[in-house]
Amino acid sequence: MDNISMLFIFVPILSLILLALNLLLAPHLPYEAKVSAYECGYVALPGQTRSTFQIQFYLVAILFLVFDLEILLILPIAVSLYQVGTFGFSVAVIFFIVLTIGFVLEIGSGAINISTSANH
Amino acid sequence: MINNNLILIILNTLISLIDVLLVLLPVLLSVAFMTIIERKQLAAHQRRVGPNTVGYYGILQPFSDALKLILKETVIPSQSNKILFYLAPVSTLIFSLLGWGIIPFGQGLTLFDFSLGILYTLALSSLGVYGVLFAGWSANSKYAFLGSLRSTAAMISYELILSSAILIVILLAGSFNFTTIIESQEAIWFVVPLLPVFIFYFISILAETSRTPFDLQEAESELVAGFFTEHSSIIFVFFFLAEYSSIVLFSCITAILFFGGYNMPELFVNNTFISLQAVVLGLKTCVFCFMFVWFRATLPRLRYDQLIEFCWLNLLPVAVAFIILVPCILVAFDIAPY
Repeated sequence: MDNISMLFIFVPILSLILLALNLLLAPHLPYEAKVSAYECGYVALPGQTRSTFQIQFYLVAILFLVFDLEILLILPIAVSLYQVGTFGFSVAVIFFIVLTIGFVLEIGSGAINISTSANH
Repeated sequence: MINNNLILIILNTLISLIDVLLVLLPVLLSVAFMTIIERKQLAAHQRRVGPNTVGYYGILQPFSDALKLILKETVIPSQSNKILFYLAPVSTLIFSLLGWGIIPFGQGLTLFDFSLGILYTLALSSLGVYGVLFAGWSANSKYAFLGSLRSTAAMISYELILSSAILIVILLAGSFNFTTIIESQEAIWFVVPLLPVFIFYFISILAETSRTPFDLQEAESELVAGFFTEHSSIIFVFFFLAEYSSIVLFSCITAILFFGGYNMPELFVNNTFISLQAVVLGLKTCVFCFMFVWFRATLPRLRYDQLIEFCWLNLLPVAVAFIILVPCILVAFDIAPY
């Protein structure tokens, strides 16, 4: 067995050992107030957690997808820049220009602007 | 025949187990010492003494902390999703420890000399986000949920900057392999031609490990505790270990990508039994661990909207500009690596 597969097996086992140690050695005495949700001075309302949240977090995730894919698509050009030369690089630049136009549109529509949209 | 093969397989397994332990045990020890270094160094910055009771000068403090946390009761909130509640810290710890598998500590001194090492590292640091998301969602608590949303948004935003900085390093090295990247820095460390890239790379790893100028999901204790508000005892230790392990790991990767890794030309041209390469890498790593704590002691915190807007409106255009500029120079002067 090579080293990296041994690492992939051993690290989960290590964390399971730590969990088991805690289960064996620690006390376990729950009561109602202890296992209720953390709240500051009053009883937690059950319906509050699975509710809506600001759309900005979602927009950041969508934007991340586009730009992360962009960088992943550039990676092959990065390792073969000598082989693809000027032609491959100019294709990458065109790709970047298209994405930059999209990025300017996104900034203009206020997709990243967290502070102002919170005041609405 | 069959017996001989069986013995060989068992021997191979034992040897690889020893190899893994040789990497993992020092890593876990260095993580433990990283916590005490942080406390002592912060104390020194603020002209206090810091922990000094357990062991000489308090160096045994992290071990007593770990023992105490193992012996504490695990409180599982009654309204939580139990499986995800355990899975989140375990997966965070696993993903941050697996990153050590491909770090070269010396010439050929690595668990796995992976030809796509950079992609492996980037994939593991992306997977770390899942632990944060699961932890906040499964706890079913208001504070944990908000903390995990803020953490996730910050981590994925700064990951873009991190991967574009690494992309620029790959452009100069021409390979995904860590060993090749180190060897291509024999003439000069990449920090010299790429100093601005190094600066925004370091900003992004501060945000990736949610260290102080960017630790908006917990802000020490001003907000509750971020996504691990409901996690206690050993599952809290998992988050803690994962955070400090990724600090040390990212310090090590910084040393490899920008500061020549184990290269230190005058030192390692000798044929002695003890290889000084690993020591050189360790010293470089220590410098960046020091810088992590130094920034925590020095810099004030941003506001959350400033954190996101700084990433998207300031850092990302600069990163994209460098992704265009560096290959422009390489193509124009025909100096791209083979």
